[in-house]
Amino acid sequence: MEQELLQQFEYETERWIFRAGLQQYSEARRVAQLCPRFAPDDEDEQVDDELRSCYNCQYRRWMMTSFECLMLKNTVLLTN
Amino acid sequence: MKNWLICIDDTDDIGTKGTGEIAEEIALLLAQTSGGKASFVTRHQLFVHPDIPYTSHNSAMCFALQSPLSQAEIHRLAVAHLVAESAPKADPGIAILDVDSDYDVHALIDFGLSAKREVITKEAAYQLAEQLQIQLTEHGGTGQGVIGALAGLGLRLMGSDGRVKGQIKLGQLEEVSLELTVAEILEQTGLDAVISTDKTRLAADEKVQLKGKVKAVYLEHQFVLLVAKDGELWRNAGKQALQDY
Repeated sequence: MEQELLQQFEYETERWIFRAGLQQYSEARRVAQLCPRFAPDDEDEQVDDELRSCYNCQYRRWMMTSFECLMLKNTVLLTN
Repeated sequence: MKNWLICIDDTDDIGTKGTGEIAEEIALLLAQTSGGKASFVTRHQLFVHPDIPYTSHNSAMCFALQSPLSQAEIHRLAVAHLVAESAPKADPGIAILDVDSDYDVHALIDFGLSAKREVITKEAAYQLAEQLQIQLTEHGGTGQGVIGALAGLGLRLMGSDGRVKGQIKLGQLEEVSLELTVAEILEQTGLDAVISTDKTRLAADEKVQLKGKVKAVYLEHQFVLLVAKDGELWRNAGKQALQDY
């Protein structure tokens, strides 16, 4: 997994949490460009006008102040 | 014809058919089977919390139905489709409300609002459903979907919550605007009103620039196209503005 991508997430209690938090659209778009596993969620669940955004990805799990990336959780666990 | 409100939740998993699509299919199936009429499907966001299991979101999908079918027939047809289309790992639930029955609408709305801000148990959902005589059933997994299904009924009844499933396609392009009057938009979409993000209702002859993905919301008990001012022009609101619904 690319180091620059991992650096955008904080690893705490077995969750990879997006450091930038909520409503940071430009950051979410930039990080999605780094990600090889981005997969758009249902259109009804997308919240960013730009398709390729972590906020639109089916692997994100909303939290109260950010989101957790399940793709990282699964991939990093598998490769370790 | 009787009036029903039907809501489902927790039917999907990563990479499977979304709950909204399944709700839309059930709505179509019930309307076609009975010669009835189904409304747009609305999506209602619920609380996101580590203690609540959900797929990529936590939302319930609700629609109104006018149909001569009995409640038992509606339940049988809806559940058959729900079970057939839900993901194997899902925890689906369905709630069916006879809108013309005598029930405590405020209790149901309060339950929906609570489900947007706190963790609620299945037991609490079943207890309220029994009290209000709402049919609430689970169909696999943990059955946790009954909580969202009941909450979705309450949020729909509240009248100002949720986005309408799907996109409105009137010929607008991703990068090129299409100009239509409010009257034309309402006629071509079946929506009820065009309202700005600061809650101003647009007049029938006002013009709106439509571009890219156009979505509606449920506001003031109406299906509404949300617009925002861009200089002197009205434009369809972007996804970020729609996120509040």
